[in-house]
Amino acid sequence: MTKVASSRWRAFRAAAFYVTATLLVAVWLLPLVIGVFTSLKSMDEIMANPVMWKPPKALRFENFGEAWNRAGMGRYIVNTFIVTIPSVAGALAVSSLAAFALAFYRFRLNKAVLVLFVAGMLVPFQMLMIPVFRMSNGLGIDDSFGGLILFHISFQLGFCTFFLRNFMKQIPYSQIEAPRIDGASDFTIYARIIMPLALPSIAALAVLEFTWIWNDLLWSLVLLRSDAIKTVTLGLANMQGEFITTYNLTAAGSILAAIAPVAVFLAFQRYFIEGLTMGADKG
Amino acid sequence: MPARRLKKSALAPWAFLALPLAMYVVWVIVPIFESFAFAFTKRDSIIYGPVFHGLANFRRLAGDGQFWLAIKNNLLWLVFFVGIPVPLGLLVAMLFNGGRPGSRLYKTLFYLPMTLSFTIIGTIWMWIYNPDFGALNTFLRSIGLDALAVQWLGDKRYMTGALIAVGVWRQVPYVMILYLAGLQGVPTELVEASLIDGASWWQRFRKVILPLLLPATIVAVTISVIDSLRSFDIVYVMTNTKARAAEVLASYMYSSAFQYADFGYGSAIAVIQFLITLVFILVYVGDVLKKESER
Amino acid sequence: MKRVIAIACAVLAATTLFVACGKKGSNELVIQSYMSDEAPKQAFQALVDDFMKKNPGIKVTVNTTAHEQYKTQLMNYLTAKEAPDVLTWFAGFRMQQYAAKGLLEPIDAVWKDADFPAAFKTASSYNGKVYFMPQSWYWWAVYYNKDVFAKLNLKTPNTWDEFLAVCAALKNAGIEPIAIGAKDTWTAGGWFDYMNVAVNGGAFHQDVTAGKVAYTDPRIVKTFDYIADLAKKGYIMKNAASYSWQEAATLMFDGKAGMYLMGQFIKDVAPADKKDSIDWFKFPIVEGNAAYGVDTPFDGYLVPAKAKNKENALKFMAYLGTKEAQELFCKPLGRLAANQNVPVPNADAQRGLDMMKGAATAMQFYDRDAPEEMAAKGMNAIVEIMGAPDKAAEILAALDKERERIYAELK
Repeated sequence: MTKVASSRWRAFRAAAFYVTATLLVAVWLLPLVIGVFTSLKSMDEIMANPVMWKPPKALRFENFGEAWNRAGMGRYIVNTFIVTIPSVAGALAVSSLAAFALAFYRFRLNKAVLVLFVAGMLVPFQMLMIPVFRMSNGLGIDDSFGGLILFHISFQLGFCTFFLRNFMKQIPYSQIEAPRIDGASDFTIYARIIMPLALPSIAALAVLEFTWIWNDLLWSLVLLRSDAIKTVTLGLANMQGEFITTYNLTAAGSILAAIAPVAVFLAFQRYFIEGLTMGADKG
Repeated sequence: MPARRLKKSALAPWAFLALPLAMYVVWVIVPIFESFAFAFTKRDSIIYGPVFHGLANFRRLAGDGQFWLAIKNNLLWLVFFVGIPVPLGLLVAMLFNGGRPGSRLYKTLFYLPMTLSFTIIGTIWMWIYNPDFGALNTFLRSIGLDALAVQWLGDKRYMTGALIAVGVWRQVPYVMILYLAGLQGVPTELVEASLIDGASWWQRFRKVILPLLLPATIVAVTISVIDSLRSFDIVYVMTNTKARAAEVLASYMYSSAFQYADFGYGSAIAVIQFLITLVFILVYVGDVLKKESER
Repeated sequence: MKRVIAIACAVLAATTLFVACGKKGSNELVIQSYMSDEAPKQAFQALVDDFMKKNPGIKVTVNTTAHEQYKTQLMNYLTAKEAPDVLTWFAGFRMQQYAAKGLLEPIDAVWKDADFPAAFKTASSYNGKVYFMPQSWYWWAVYYNKDVFAKLNLKTPNTWDEFLAVCAALKNAGIEPIAIGAKDTWTAGGWFDYMNVAVNGGAFHQDVTAGKVAYTDPRIVKTFDYIADLAKKGYIMKNAASYSWQEAATLMFDGKAGMYLMGQFIKDVAPADKKDSIDWFKFPIVEGNAAYGVDTPFDGYLVPAKAKNKENALKFMAYLGTKEAQELFCKPLGRLAANQNVPVPNADAQRGLDMMKGAATAMQFYDRDAPEEMAAKGMNAIVEIMGAPDKAAEILAALDKERERIYAELK
């Protein structure tokens, strides 16, 4: 291949990449674009000109104000932070203990415990609605932030443990060998050696868990009764019953509810992909 | 292998496992067993105390056409939910993996659907599928395909397909991100070459890249299998669980327990669903664990 | 290792502390409400404010959950220890089944016979005790767009033939004759109630909801023949299964559809400028059978047996039954009060009341008169028949198998 041909080839490849990638992303995001456009239109425009992918003629930002006020979004969003942040932190902290044990110790029930954690992920969890409510109610912790947080932490342990254990398995054993010989305790190895190494994957997991717990509807429904502590998905559900025919307000409310998880993802996306790395270069 | 584990004391792993296991057992495992136990009781047992019903709920399942329809739909979910997102997610991941300027932006944008709740996704897609003013039919009509502009969520024949499409749309970015992570250990040139290079790309892809991506594939397939078999949210949000033709096991369980107030029957469905998933996962995870210990 | 245990303890302790902080004081009243639509929600809030003014010592909390989800949580509300004090709910079988299980608190102490017609007491009682405080009631009728009718010079039909003629005229004009949002299957329940009473009479219909008649009975088949006929003629709006009840109502408000068999609450969702162009007429007479039935669901409140603040709950129930409280709630919504001393709020409600007084049969509604599972499956079947009228026989046969099992299980 001559130099000219090869540089043309490279240019062609670059062009092909950008065209394909742009088209792909555009098609994939069309539903979201429709959501955003709808949130900015007036109902008259939506009804008179039902071509959803056309940009709004005039931007009606008032829709957002109206959705915010009428649905009481502000308080719901604060509540959701109060639930989500400790739940994510707790799930990661607690599951990292289990993942460490399953990744680095050899003991008879190792696989059995792993299977137990994975098996818990397999049930249709709607089935747990009544038993979980009963248990929370019996302990007197239903209808409180704490009860919901405690449940979220426990419920996410299956996936988090499975995920972190897979990651920790990739950490070369040599990383542990040296400090062990130096007489470091198991807990020191967990806290000082393994956790820092696992940090990227913990960060990635945090992003995933944040979006899941933020977007949870079912468990908030089961475990929260008081309006004062309800989360944003419940607010959105109430609002959808109320504004089902005013598509623009529903869309605006949805966008308000989605801001936090999208922002968290954007803020952490750099760590996200890196942290999910299962590591092809295993030790 | 022998040197791979810490083994100072037999109690050490249990000290680490104590809290997570305790929480998991109390909040997940015990409720699972509790609800499974109700599969052998009469409809109101969970409320008013157990009344043993033997295998009656399971016998009823065997002759329940709705149940078999749910199984069929679940298998459709499984086939398409694993069959499309896994290869497509891999393809997209390989496309975006290069260090070209802007590729991070593409990845970020492409992933956005995953960050939204099912309530939001369901709402938007319901608009898209609306037979009269929805984007899909507007588009089909505009290119002269009026005959294809059907009632996507109102017609038995298309319902499940329409719902699976939404699930796939959301799952592809998820799988992409898992593969992007996996691809970090693979040299970029190798990926690019295998994407577009001539004759030997399939060979190279199969012999070099796929093995390197095995851990990512394991996670992607496991998660997709589990999610497809317990798919609920999209069916729930978009049909209000009242579109019987699109029923999957999880939604049938939900309507049995909560709309028909028959918790015993709902539990029986949950048991079956659990067992089906377990078979898939044991075959799969068992294989993975075996490979792991061979390493 | 000690440290691991220490951390574990710390996490548990922190959570316990956090949980303990959320507990509430004593002189309270907690109400769970399904009124998430704006109009009833505001009307109810006005009521609560008034109650608090009259009882300054009691702190009332109202928690609102969207209707469909509320129903899935009702069992949890009823069986929780320290249960909510007052719940919104329905009269009739849907309430009585819980009274039968001892989950409800009797409210005879605050019930005043002079305030309520006997029919209300019956629907609110179980085994000689009152468990339910009815508040408002409304009627189901065929709502229609007056402007559309005027433009096409149509008169409201009295008989089935006239009704079919109106449908044909609407269809000719390019307007969907009958709107129905069948995505919410309960909208079809009204069709079954009205059609079946019109064809077979009220006593027969009561036997049906009590499970005594097979869905394959020729009389029921005949009822469905009428419904299937509407579907075959294309009078039921196309794509009905893709619309919620409110979206279908919007089609009628906008003049794209002509008529809608619906409850009076359809006015709650009509835009202010369209409210006056919507009116209703009585379901048409079929085969000269002039004795008619009406769906008149009673909405109201109950107190769980495990309510935490029973004393306050009963005080509130007493208040809810008063003339002032019922008027305060019903007037802005244009609904009828259960308390018979409350004046009828407007001329429209007077018409509704007159229609009910003339009725031979009053029903709560299919999904309140029949057990949940039966009603849910029955309504699915009706929607299915509307979509596939040729398969009616098959669908009804399957439904009847369900009926046999469901009623056998309830015994």
